[in-house]
Amino acid sequence: MTQTLETQNSVERLKLYKTTPELYDAMMALGNAAGKGIAAELAELIKMRASQMNHCAFCLDMHTRDARKRGVSEQKLHVLAAWEEAAGLFTEREQAALALTEAITDLGNGHVADDVYARAAAVFTDQELGQVIAMAVTINAWNRINVTVRTQPTRR
Amino acid sequence: MTTAVDKTGRIKLDRVSPELYEAMIALNNAAAKDLDPDLAELIKIRASQMNHCAFCLDMHTADARKRGISEQKIALLPAWEEAGGIFSEQEQAALALTEEMTDLTRRHVSDEVYARAAEAFSERELGQVIAMALTINAWNRIGVTTRKPLPKR
Repeated sequence: MTQTLETQNSVERLKLYKTTPELYDAMMALGNAAGKGIAAELAELIKMRASQMNHCAFCLDMHTRDARKRGVSEQKLHVLAAWEEAAGLFTEREQAALALTEAITDLGNGHVADDVYARAAAVFTDQELGQVIAMAVTINAWNRINVTVRTQPTRR
Repeated sequence: MTTAVDKTGRIKLDRVSPELYEAMIALNNAAAKDLDPDLAELIKIRASQMNHCAFCLDMHTADARKRGISEQKIALLPAWEEAGGIFSEQEQAALALTEEMTDLTRRHVSDEVYARAAEAFSERELGQVIAMALTINAWNRIGVTTRKPLPKR
């Protein structure tokens, strides 16, 4: 039997999928558009890293599980938060995508610098680069939904 | 083959991924429903300021002016908490929520801020405020990453 973890907070939050179903429809379409033509493992790393930075428990739980299902190694999952210090464990494409994801995610504290952009542009085609950006944008949107309404991960 | 890179050197996402753009427009439309359009502009401007999205900031301040939102109000947005009664309680509640949702790497959406917004808005309206805040954050990320050039005014 699955059970959701009890909410820690005292303030009951909106069931957004009930009050705003059109938002969920639009988010699904966004996710589908973002997911095309991008390797599934890379997509999961992007989603995990953004969810870590945005402290989205539901998303992090979901995408860690998805990443594992996609064959991402336990070691990679564990060191993802320190990917820059994990030389060789992540390919150059993964590192470039993660660097770009971090810049896109932490937007209030910076911008997307030329060197970060150029690093990604060097290893991805325009199409692929567009998808990496789209994926980072999308997961940031999902994080904002699930953090705001405190969607709880399912107990496993 | 023509590339989708503009003269600032970054891809044009609407050319590279028209499907993504369509999805963003749909998201935008979903977020705008049943939301006071003036309030929507304030949310969009505040997030765009925090995210340093020049294109979005330019567009939404122009839109706000066209809607008749005063120069004073637009100028005071970054200091809304200190601006006395210039912003209504609804506006303040929405702006507080927008700021926490925008600065997600360093903050979370606190009970206090959430409760304030829940108090000021109906459930439907609150859902729309949340939707608008996350949508502008998505647009900002596109605008900043692809360095969308500003139109000449």
